Amino acid sequence: MSEFKICLIGFGAVGQGVAKAINMKKQSIQEKYGKKLKIVAVSDSSSSAITEEGLNEELLLKTKSKFGKLNKYPEYGSDICGEDVLDSVDYDCLIEVTPTNIENGEPAKSLTLKAFKSKKDVVTSNKGHLALFYKEMIKEANLNNVQFKFEASVGGAMPIINFADETLPSSKIKSIVGILNGTTNYILSRMTSEGSSYLNTLEESQQLGIAETDPTQDVEGIDAACKTVILANSLLKIDATYEDVEVVGISKITSESIDLAKKEGYLIKLIAEVSLDSLKVSPRLVKKNSPYAVEGTLNMATLKTDLADEVTVVGKGAGSLETASAILTDLINVIRTK
Amino acid sequence: MRMNLVLELLDIPGQLVSVLEPIGGLGANLVTVIHQRDLKNEKGMIPVQITLEGEQENLNLVIEKLNEMGITILELDGVVRKERLSTILIGHVIDTDIKDTMDKINELKGVSVVDLEVKLAEELESSAMIVVEADFGKKSFVFDKIQEIANKKDLLVVNEV
Repeated sequence: MSEFKICLIGFGAVGQGVAKAINMKKQSIQEKYGKKLKIVAVSDSSSSAITEEGLNEELLLKTKSKFGKLNKYPEYGSDICGEDVLDSVDYDCLIEVTPTNIENGEPAKSLTLKAFKSKKDVVTSNKGHLALFYKEMIKEANLNNVQFKFEASVGGAMPIINFADETLPSSKIKSIVGILNGTTNYILSRMTSEGSSYLNTLEESQQLGIAETDPTQDVEGIDAACKTVILANSLLKIDATYEDVEVVGISKITSESIDLAKKEGYLIKLIAEVSLDSLKVSPRLVKKNSPYAVEGTLNMATLKTDLADEVTVVGKGAGSLETASAILTDLINVIRTK
Repeated sequence: MRMNLVLELLDIPGQLVSVLEPIGGLGANLVTVIHQRDLKNEKGMIPVQITLEGEQENLNLVIEKLNEMGITILELDGVVRKERLSTILIGHVIDTDIKDTMDKINELKGVSVVDLEVKLAEELESSAMIVVEADFGKKSFVFDKIQEIANKKDLLVVNEV
């Protein structure tokens, strides 16, 4: 039985979800693919836990929730963090789930490039480096002959990148139109059902933990624009970066406009559009009974193709275990090739 | 009886034949076909004028078949077919001269505003739902123009997908 050693960098909601998901699935992965998953290093923003022997997932989660930091992990806790973690242990695959940074893509970019240089495969949920340096990242992965997978970066649990690549390879994708941000979809859905104002609904979403304390990335469409760039590059082969997307957020949507839309049988949704003619994120009117009318934090995307015509996917766009499901799928796809 | 149609077809080989082929089988006779490839529109489509002869029910079957095939019928017996498009403007809709906004949309060729509803809000930013009727196939042209008009007045546009 061979081992498959994982280095996990980033231990927020997604990183903890990954630890939970690995704990739940490692037995069945071992039975099915003949590889024993072992987390050999986990790092948060300022500390880590590292051992070749393999860390205990439950103990990692307990340590983080009790102390807020990983350096208190029994015996193997340390203050090593950032890129140094990658030098301190031998691993097969980096799972990089640090927060998205749309200014310069760091620390995701440096961590990923370092792993590539050491000929390691990388699985990520990060959007920053992909939205800013897609071409460069893919080129480096290819140069080093390693796998770079990022299904979790778009739509959380909603299958889209692997789905288009592996399930629909017969069809050329002409455009993708979809809802790629769960937080704004939740806010707009609530404004529609409750008749409440934008600001009140945002506040409610923050209290429920659906919107972040600083909601800018979600409500101004930045997050959806990053995903638009990733889909444009990966599925439509459009050489675009974040600056190429026309972005309008939802902060100016009034409850009056939602009422007017309702009367005519429409809903207002934050829609991302990916095609050769347009890369755009903006609030749009969608028909009440159309595939675009998904509620709450759900994400959806309609792929318009040449052979299969329209295909629509729907799924949970965020959430710790949901996002981890996409990461684990990528990880299994890496393992399958070993 | 006779029926005149203007169809919108893709300018690729075989398109015209694939549209004309089912007509005979449905009991209608083809009288004329005018196929002007130099009249390509902005979507790369060309209008094709055809005249058919047959019983009303057979002609209806042809229309049904064309709809089924996803062919756009631009004109039926000289009447231009229209589609309804909705958009919402948010901002200082009234202060930026709503009548002028309507006039500018109505000035667009083949486009007319058929419905307008405004809701005022306490914070002064109001919302207006505008429904226009436009010639078939003009959707992106109409929405682009509305966006242009709105940009000049600093209004947020929420167009139909």
